[in-house]
Amino acid sequence: MASLLMIAWTFFRIGLIFVGGGYVLIPLLNHIMVEQYHWLTLRQFLDGLALSQLTPGPLAILATFTGFRAGGFPGALVATICIFLPCITLMLIVGRNYDRLKKIDIIGSTLDGLLPAVVGLVAAAAWQLGVSSLSGLKDFLILAIGFAIFKWTKTTPMVVILGAGIIGFFIN
Amino acid sequence: MACRFRQYVLRHFHLLPILTSCYNSVMKSDAYKISLTEIFLTFAKIGITGFGGGMAIVAMVERVCVHEKNWITSEEFMHGLAFGQILGPFSLNVCTFTGHHLRGIRGGILAAAGFLLPSFLLVSLLSWVYFTYNKLPQLQAALKGTNPVIIGLIVVVAIDMGRKQIKGSNGALMAAVAFCAAVFFKLNAAWILLGAALWSLCSSYYRRRFT
Repeated sequence: MASLLMIAWTFFRIGLIFVGGGYVLIPLLNHIMVEQYHWLTLRQFLDGLALSQLTPGPLAILATFTGFRAGGFPGALVATICIFLPCITLMLIVGRNYDRLKKIDIIGSTLDGLLPAVVGLVAAAAWQLGVSSLSGLKDFLILAIGFAIFKWTKTTPMVVILGAGIIGFFIN
Repeated sequence: MACRFRQYVLRHFHLLPILTSCYNSVMKSDAYKISLTEIFLTFAKIGITGFGGGMAIVAMVERVCVHEKNWITSEEFMHGLAFGQILGPFSLNVCTFTGHHLRGIRGGILAAAGFLLPSFLLVSLLSWVYFTYNKLPQLQAALKGTNPVIIGLIVVVAIDMGRKQIKGSNGALMAAVAFCAAVFFKLNAAWILLGAALWSLCSSYYRRRFT
């Protein structure tokens, strides 16, 4: 078992460099966990990947799995905290200076100007998820029902998603 | 004397209505200060049910914090999403940003912790099961049912955001280009936003300079 300090330092460094949502993380973590430190076999790494995608957390929650392997429950805790420490700190700094940043005219108007691109990215996410996971009439039916509920009622998403999970459990 | 007083009043107190409304809004937000517990619980709920990750989380936070609870305006939220591309997972980053917006640093940390805690516990449990029995529990069937609904949610959020934020043909063009760049050219979101920021910077600079 690796020492907690070493786990902490390893994951903190990973947290410092990963940019852009998570998929960059797969080759990086594979290299570090499997080839460099031998904390996991390739098979275990892939299973861990599948497992961390079952959960709502970001892909980086893979750190929990790897940390668990390397140092038990304390290892999992330390790894999770350390990998997310840099980005949480950065967002807190951004949030703290957000009002000041927005008041600087050129930054404010730049921020407002790029908002349509954010909308495009959100739509692209829906498209990509749809292409990779929708198959058959059943899925499209559920999609249409979900869309209608979200669009025209004020139902909170948790209820709808849990409901869909239960339905999915029975029909699949 | 009376005349000067009147002048003084006129000069300084025409701002009075604005000042009172500012004061009112400040007092109001103080009086209804959202408790740290509520922040934590709200994001923990999102963390429990936000299957699908990434944009699904963003869509849920948008729905809950912008529409249901009016905690943050749509614009501020999207700024947070844009900043969130800088480092790490943006799903976590919008939670931190929203939490910080509500209650400062403590709010941000609690929002992030609330969001991560359910996943952390679930993965810890599943890891334990996995390394003890070398098998994954079959959660997949249930999750397959949630997928289409999550896509539906994201579509709704994209439509709502688009209605509010896309004004004029320039905005529509930018949204379309960003969409194509992500879908057809598989460009990283951070790069797309950087490009959009540069474009928007240049165009606002140009507008200021030449009009």
